[in-house]
Amino acid sequence: MKEPVVSIRTYTITWLALLILALATTLLGFLNLGPFSMGIAILIATAKAALVVAFFMHGRYESKLIHVIIAAGVIWFLIMISNTLGDYITRGRLPVPGK
Amino acid sequence: MIEEATEQSVRETYLNKEQGILSWLLTTDHKRIGILYTISITFFFFLGGFFALLMRLELIDPRNWLVSAETYNKLFTMHGIIMVWFFLIPSIPNTLGNFVLPMALGAKDLAFPKLNLASWYVFMLGAAVTIFALFRGGVDTGWTFYTPFSTTYSTTYVTAATVGVFINGFSSIMTGLNFIATVHRMRAPGLTWYKLPIFVWSHYATSIIFVLATPVLATTLLMVAVERIFQVGIFDPRLGGDPVLFQHMFWFYSHPAVYIMVLPAMAVVSEIIPAFSRKPLFGYKAVAYSSIAIATIGFLVWGHHMFVAGISAYSAMSFSILSYFVAVPSAIKVFNWTATVYRGAVSWDTPMLYAIGFVGLFTIGGMTGLFLAALGLDVHLTDTYFVIAHFHYIMVGGTVMAYLGGVHYWWPKISGKLYPEGLARLSAVTIFLGFNLTFFPQFVLGYLGMPRRYAAYPEEFQFLNILSTAGASILGVGYVMPLFYLLWSWKYGKEAGPNPWRATGLEWQTSSPPPKHNFEETPIITTSLPYPYEEMKEELGLVQTR
Amino acid sequence: MSKLDEAFEVKPPEVLELREQFATPDQQRQTAMVGIWIFLITEVLLFGALFTAFTVYRLSDPQGFDLGSKDMDTVLGSVNTAVLICSSFTMALSVYFAELGKRKSLALFLILTMLIGTAFLAIKFTEYHSHWVDHKVPGLWFEDHSPHAAKIEMFFVFYFIMTGLHALHMTIGLGVLTVLLFRTAIGSITAEYHTPIEVGGLYWHFIDIVWIYLYAIFYIPGIHLK
Repeated sequence: MKEPVVSIRTYTITWLALLILALATTLLGFLNLGPFSMGIAILIATAKAALVVAFFMHGRYESKLIHVIIAAGVIWFLIMISNTLGDYITRGRLPVPGK
Repeated sequence: MIEEATEQSVRETYLNKEQGILSWLLTTDHKRIGILYTISITFFFFLGGFFALLMRLELIDPRNWLVSAETYNKLFTMHGIIMVWFFLIPSIPNTLGNFVLPMALGAKDLAFPKLNLASWYVFMLGAAVTIFALFRGGVDTGWTFYTPFSTTYSTTYVTAATVGVFINGFSSIMTGLNFIATVHRMRAPGLTWYKLPIFVWSHYATSIIFVLATPVLATTLLMVAVERIFQVGIFDPRLGGDPVLFQHMFWFYSHPAVYIMVLPAMAVVSEIIPAFSRKPLFGYKAVAYSSIAIATIGFLVWGHHMFVAGISAYSAMSFSILSYFVAVPSAIKVFNWTATVYRGAVSWDTPMLYAIGFVGLFTIGGMTGLFLAALGLDVHLTDTYFVIAHFHYIMVGGTVMAYLGGVHYWWPKISGKLYPEGLARLSAVTIFLGFNLTFFPQFVLGYLGMPRRYAAYPEEFQFLNILSTAGASILGVGYVMPLFYLLWSWKYGKEAGPNPWRATGLEWQTSSPPPKHNFEETPIITTSLPYPYEEMKEELGLVQTR
Repeated sequence: MSKLDEAFEVKPPEVLELREQFATPDQQRQTAMVGIWIFLITEVLLFGALFTAFTVYRLSDPQGFDLGSKDMDTVLGSVNTAVLICSSFTMALSVYFAELGKRKSLALFLILTMLIGTAFLAIKFTEYHSHWVDHKVPGLWFEDHSPHAAKIEMFFVFYFIMTGLHALHMTIGLGVLTVLLFRTAIGSITAEYHTPIEVGGLYWHFIDIVWIYLYAIFYIPGIHLK
């Protein structure tokens, strides 16, 4: 019988880390960081997501192909959001109406 | 091991191994599923073509004479929806791709055969819902479903149509997922990436687009449906919604979608040209990488459909220059196909006629895209017949011709029979001439300023419109001919044998039609090149190349 | 044996193990992994499009969206986040015991995951109910009289679409887990063949990740306004 890919210890540490990060996100909300609060919340969420992918989903132990697939998903989402936001953020900067 | 072509009634093939309608409707054999799809998309091609015929008839006369303007809106919408989602997108991947891909890899089937069958049922379900919308009076928003007309003002069956397309999208996603998994994990021993035919590379690139772009379409259409059903204002300016956001999301899918439509066509052409030039594809790696480049860069250019929609100038400039970049890998392919033909022992069988036709017409279509990518020109040309001619040159002059070329090329493999070459060449030429007569005048019309999606137009445009309609009728005849002689040949055609074209490629190393599991034994790859015409010269019985 | 009996016969894992198109069990497992991961990134793009649209709208009026976020129930949302994290933990442990071939522990942790998942849905529907009571359901009953009403309504449109889509995925996930539990019970999951558990687990974890982001964008920004 093969050894399990990830030990219970690793799972438990990951679980606790996730709970702590979730608590941190919530506490963050009480601070009035203005426009940054969402950004930092997303950053912490990304850290949590990374933990889930790496350990719960065995991402860290999977083949290179799986790593490429995961990276492609993330990159394509970033392409979509950055080029779309890129339009909205750059509007109104030229002295031409409607541009 | 090449099997001798024995009496088909004796030899067991995928066609006769199991019989009866249930064995077809419950099949997990990729070859049978390819045939199921072929029947479906043929039906939709002619349905979409019927709407085009009505439109072209209407446009003979500058005034509204045949149908009302509202009906005309429905005609071009249904033509677009059916042709894009129910014909073009599945046309090559789900028919020829399904049939040939596992064989080209030396595999017994796709990675997930049941998922493959499910994808056909999902496709048919989406079709049923869309046909329902059609029968209840159709949709009039254009296939692009622009908001706020589609969400707030249209009184037609928009929700049903968007749901139909939404469902259809899942068929695409399932196919793409299946193909990617198959190419990665089901290759025969010894078949490394750089020995794969371009057919595989291009379908792989297509599948990347399937899985990354289609979900965004699903979300976008979902939001349109939610807005219509619940009367919430996602794209409604009164609620702070933004109609241009719809366009961003829609085109994020729909631009890569056009590469879904053209990459498989390029896949087919990349197989036909070496086969009928009797030499390896020139610049194999460049063509392989170009497929991936087209799929990737194709995701970065969607804003070129929105130059006049109100996006920022900086955004427009960025999308414009990227649109120029995306033309480069396509051009690389055209140069390599041409170089393949050069000094080859060319035979002008029907598949080759279609393939060369593709190269010429796709080049024209592609180059006219560059006009549209130029910001200043696009202001003048957008929403005119120039755009229509541009994409029809690629979709029809390109994809449909490549599809027909592929059908003829692999017909002997699929059916075990040869089609009548004379008739086939005649229809290829008819299609080519009819096509150009239909769509070339449209470039001129667009340049002169005739807007698209108009049922009535200024009188000075009438002559060119009549030319276009005349071309369309010739084109229609050309399309109907293969339907007849191909079906005739299925029953009465000459036996084809395993490799009538003497082409390389694993699918030609097995009998025609193939056995259910494609190969008697799993092929082991011993050649060192993807198109080993030189190495296999004797085996293929080829005349020495010059 | 009749065809019906054959169809319902419980086949031993060695028979189930290898489908026709595969040469080895390892090829089958690897292909399944490739398949599920590709499916998960289609889901990334599916939800990602909604996140993109949300971000575009938030950009144009962050205050309005923050006011919408103020109406969220921080306690229930935070509890739900912890709940899902725990369910991911139990799901990971299910896979762990599947890898060891310990059927009883596997079944136990599958059941735990399902219970916790159901708790999530129950809490979610409690929240939906309270939004309904507060007249904050666009399209059905929405009332707001502050100057940012339009933006708050837009916030709730996205809230319901995105959390609704997420809840739908959770429900499907519960269905998937039920099937996995059934297969465990009839003995078709072993240490040699537990791919379905892995695949189901990956789907479950992904749904958890989506919630992690939903929590960040819907619940956090408005806390400081309460």
